[in-house]
Amino acid sequence: MSLLEIDDLTVKYGSISAVRGAAMTVASGEVVGVIGPNGAGKSTTLGAVAGLRSPAAGRVRFDGTDVTGWSPDRMLRAGLALVPERRRIFVDLTVRENLLVGGATVGAAERSRMLDEMVELFGALRARWNTSAGYLSGGEAQQLAIARALMSNPRMILMDEPSLGLAPVLVDLVFGLVEELRRRGRTLLVVEQNAVRMLQVADRAYVMRSGEVVAGGPSAQLAARADLFEAYVGRSAS
Amino acid sequence: MTELIQQTVDGLGRGSEYALIALGIAVIFGVMHLVNFAHGELITVSAYVAYFLFTLELAWWVYAPVIVGTAVATSIAIEFVAFRWVRGAPDFTMLLTSFGVHFVVAALFVMFVSANVRNFDRPDWITNTISVGGINLEVFDLVTIAVTAITLLATVYLLQRTMFGISLRAAAEDFDTARLMGIRSNRVIRGAFVLAGVLAGIAAVFVLMRTGRASPTAGLTPMLKGVLAALIGGLGSMGGAVLGGFALGLVEVLLLARLPDGWVGLTNGIVFLGIALLFTFRPQGLISVGHAERV
Amino acid sequence: MSPAVVQRWLAPTAGGAVLVAALVVGGFLYALTGGGARDALVTQMLINAIVVVGIQVYVGNTGVLSFGHIGFAGIAGYVFAILAISPERKATIIPDAPFGLADVSVSPAVAGLVAVGVTVLVGVVVGLGLGRSGARSGAVSATMITLALLFLVHEMAVNWTELTGGDRAGLSFDLGDSLGGNGPVVVALLASVVAARLFAESPWGRLAQAAREDDLAARAIGVDPAVLQMVALLGSVVIVAVGASLRVYELGTISPRFFFFDYTLLTLTMLIVGGRKSVTGALVGVTVITVGNELTRWLAGPDVSITGLDWILRDGLSEIFLGAAMLGFMIFRSSGLLDDWELDRWLFARWRTRRESRPAPPEPVRHSESVLVASDLVVDFGGFRALDGAGLSAEASEVVGLIGPNGAGKTTLLNVITGPVVPRAGSCRLDELLLTGLPVHRIARAGVVRTFQNLRLFPASTVREHVEVAALAARGHGAGREAPTPESLLVLCGLWEHRDRRARELDYGTSRRLELARAAAAAPEFLLLDEPTSGMSDSESLAMIDQVRAIASGVGAGVVVIDHDLAFITGICDRIYCLDQGRVIAMGPPAEIQADPRVQAAYMGTAITAEPSAGGSTPTTAPP
Repeated sequence: MSLLEIDDLTVKYGSISAVRGAAMTVASGEVVGVIGPNGAGKSTTLGAVAGLRSPAAGRVRFDGTDVTGWSPDRMLRAGLALVPERRRIFVDLTVRENLLVGGATVGAAERSRMLDEMVELFGALRARWNTSAGYLSGGEAQQLAIARALMSNPRMILMDEPSLGLAPVLVDLVFGLVEELRRRGRTLLVVEQNAVRMLQVADRAYVMRSGEVVAGGPSAQLAARADLFEAYVGRSAS
Repeated sequence: MTELIQQTVDGLGRGSEYALIALGIAVIFGVMHLVNFAHGELITVSAYVAYFLFTLELAWWVYAPVIVGTAVATSIAIEFVAFRWVRGAPDFTMLLTSFGVHFVVAALFVMFVSANVRNFDRPDWITNTISVGGINLEVFDLVTIAVTAITLLATVYLLQRTMFGISLRAAAEDFDTARLMGIRSNRVIRGAFVLAGVLAGIAAVFVLMRTGRASPTAGLTPMLKGVLAALIGGLGSMGGAVLGGFALGLVEVLLLARLPDGWVGLTNGIVFLGIALLFTFRPQGLISVGHAERV
Repeated sequence: MSPAVVQRWLAPTAGGAVLVAALVVGGFLYALTGGGARDALVTQMLINAIVVVGIQVYVGNTGVLSFGHIGFAGIAGYVFAILAISPERKATIIPDAPFGLADVSVSPAVAGLVAVGVTVLVGVVVGLGLGRSGARSGAVSATMITLALLFLVHEMAVNWTELTGGDRAGLSFDLGDSLGGNGPVVVALLASVVAARLFAESPWGRLAQAAREDDLAARAIGVDPAVLQMVALLGSVVIVAVGASLRVYELGTISPRFFFFDYTLLTLTMLIVGGRKSVTGALVGVTVITVGNELTRWLAGPDVSITGLDWILRDGLSEIFLGAAMLGFMIFRSSGLLDDWELDRWLFARWRTRRESRPAPPEPVRHSESVLVASDLVVDFGGFRALDGAGLSAEASEVVGLIGPNGAGKTTLLNVITGPVVPRAGSCRLDELLLTGLPVHRIARAGVVRTFQNLRLFPASTVREHVEVAALAARGHGAGREAPTPESLLVLCGLWEHRDRRARELDYGTSRRLELARAAAAAPEFLLLDEPTSGMSDSESLAMIDQVRAIASGVGAGVVVIDHDLAFITGICDRIYCLDQGRVIAMGPPAEIQADPRVQAAYMGTAITAEPSAGGSTPTTAPP
């Protein structure tokens, strides 16, 4: 059974339908990508799952429970963590304090345990433990954002464009992290513009365009499609 | 030279009161984007409670915790009755709301408690001086500075080493992302008001010891100074608020000492002029917490 | 008589006169029913109306909350008193007044004029300070400056006792030397209300209102908020100064607390309750609060006793009423009773809608030979290099596209050209004019006009007002080019039917077209469009192609457009630039760009981004 089920989801901003009739599933232990051009509705879909917006129609089911319209902190307590677009780390807080905030919903003992785990997993952060997060480089910041999401030991992690704004070397780093998380058995739903890299690390992926899911399937299959670019950006007007 | 040291201590003593109030205002501003003009009512209410205790002929060391408690209770009450309704409103609305709350509370006071000024005895040791290395310093200033230093240290501990404090700072920086991390907005905002209440309460103890009177406008001037100090420091910055408070106290005392006799009454006026100039040329305050607008 | 003249001059004057007449007649009738006390009340109400209207001229048109206007009032009041009180009287109350003012003797009218003059001078200084601090709707620093003024004036009044009589005695006129009848008050009120309405309908007023609605969007069509705010401030200060002088003369006395927090609360509450964006609202607010105040005073007085409520019907009820009114409206209806409704504007709109017919769409305008060039731009945001030598060029006769993945720097490039972002290297030019470093509104006036990715309309303004305001902002620098009328632009964009609807009520597609129409009405040489099809369906995007083309030829402008919808971009552009990581990686006609593997790679990523190694897709940095 799927850990996450998105069923006929419609999300609106005022009168615009940013997402129409989207359907996706994520099984436990899978890494699923959501690729597509900017404005396709990928982030909106993720946001609706995470509880940032209430969908106008459709259902979201997490581990069998209907979580449609649940608030973000309720979703977090249910085991779903979000790494937001552009990271949104707290620059006034230190690396350690950022992580503690990520564990705000779990007890002190668990938090302490997760903190130790993060130290082990993220070497780059260890060196900056008590530095203000505003001084981190782009790559370190992205690692911090991911680590912060891991602090609540979630059942599933949503990631919104993790490679956005990063130099090529750091993009490698980020996808390397995604692969590492996959190796450790984490379940991920990742929105990405960098389709080629995403398809390399994901088990399955969905393609979204103009608010709709236009394709889906195992990554190898999608990567092999000759018309992927067209599905991605749309047919030209000629 | 000795004079300068005396004035510095005196200025820091005054500045301590401002710093505590300013910090409370900065904390509330951080989580709600609200400049709390009603903050002074905490002191006004405390003043009358102090007078009431005085009529019961209790010792001053009993007053202190009761005053702090009163300030906290008043702070929570004001948040619950008025400010909770305007969360997330534009700054214009927030400013006028706090202005309105200030007036209603002040008016309720005049109506139900007293329009009269009540005096009460200040503690005996207020006017004592002690000699340190040949310089005469007022015991009161030293006590104020010491207590404030302890309070600030405790606050720093709270803000940096407890989950509540870290959550508060996270919410003050980015409320939405903090909520995303599961931090509950109600708890954080109410916590901010409680913290501000404690700080204002401690400041109130010293203000009242210094003035010895309870009047409907007892809280107005300290509140104003606190707001100005928080603004000088840069509204988003808690450290800035504390620095602003001490700076304001020092400037006041030094000005007072240096102005020719006839001009003494204009000390406040000069301070306000300075504030106006500061905002003209550096609207973000001395220590800016920049938030760029996305185009 | 053309509708424009009626709108600008006739309607506001007539409307203002009607409002004042209503207020005066109402007051007169009320005063008839009672004695001297009622007369005084009506006079005070009319005087308060002058002051509140004065405050409205600034707060309403700029959106900046000012606590300082009563500070201005205080200055005017004191200057008036010091000059108008007879020397004999002054000898007893302020014999040591500096500058020989104790001997000065002028008529009240002259005293009033000098009071206005002095206050305006102070207003200029304060206005410069506000402008420097970047005052705009919602700016806390601006409000704090005005608060500082209020306190400064109060402090000086309390402490400069030789001049002001200080806190206890204050200044007072001889018995019998005071305002006679209501004549001067009614005249002053009429003049103030008409002036306020005329200002609000003038280009200055309307542009100030646009800046109030959205500062950034207003600058993008050429509006300079600082100048307008200064004009509004000075106008408001004049009116407030007149009202303050009359108030002092009517009361016969002045002391610092007359122009401090209490009067500030009263006047601001009146303004808020009525609706700060409207002169009609200000007057309604004055009436409502005056009536309410009197009612509470009567209830709290000795003549009234209601069982169960007596505990609250006592002294201080009026203050609670005022504070509660302020609070209540802020929480439940912050726009006030009338929001921005004006009597004469409402009547005029009705009259015009009945008479006017749908205009013809504009004839195509010849494109000029202008060229927009951006070259070698470098922009750093903290440690992040957003633009690394990017640039583009566009002629006024073409449509140029700008594409690239998220974070490539497209919007940053647009921001550098239009002004909000200053590059650390490189430059932008429109023909010979160097644009780099100019403020946003100057660049817009030069003819480079943009739209916004996140839609920045003026929420409370109507569709029609959007294009009218843009046209007003463009007056004088359209450089003799034939510009289509705002009305014809509305027809061109399919907005004619919506012309009287407010922007905040429009659906998304219509809103996007309005942004386009507004930009077109600002007499652009170049239109820079930031994701105009964002959020649109495929069919809507295709319709936008024709829309943008029609607009471009209707105003003779070149177009630079950013978008992610390749169908839209390839359908509309003559040439396309593709950006990635802050650099231009490809440029050419649509067919070429679409087939370019570098473009595909930029959008979809590449297999290996670091040094290609023999083993395929191994990341170069292994996680710990």
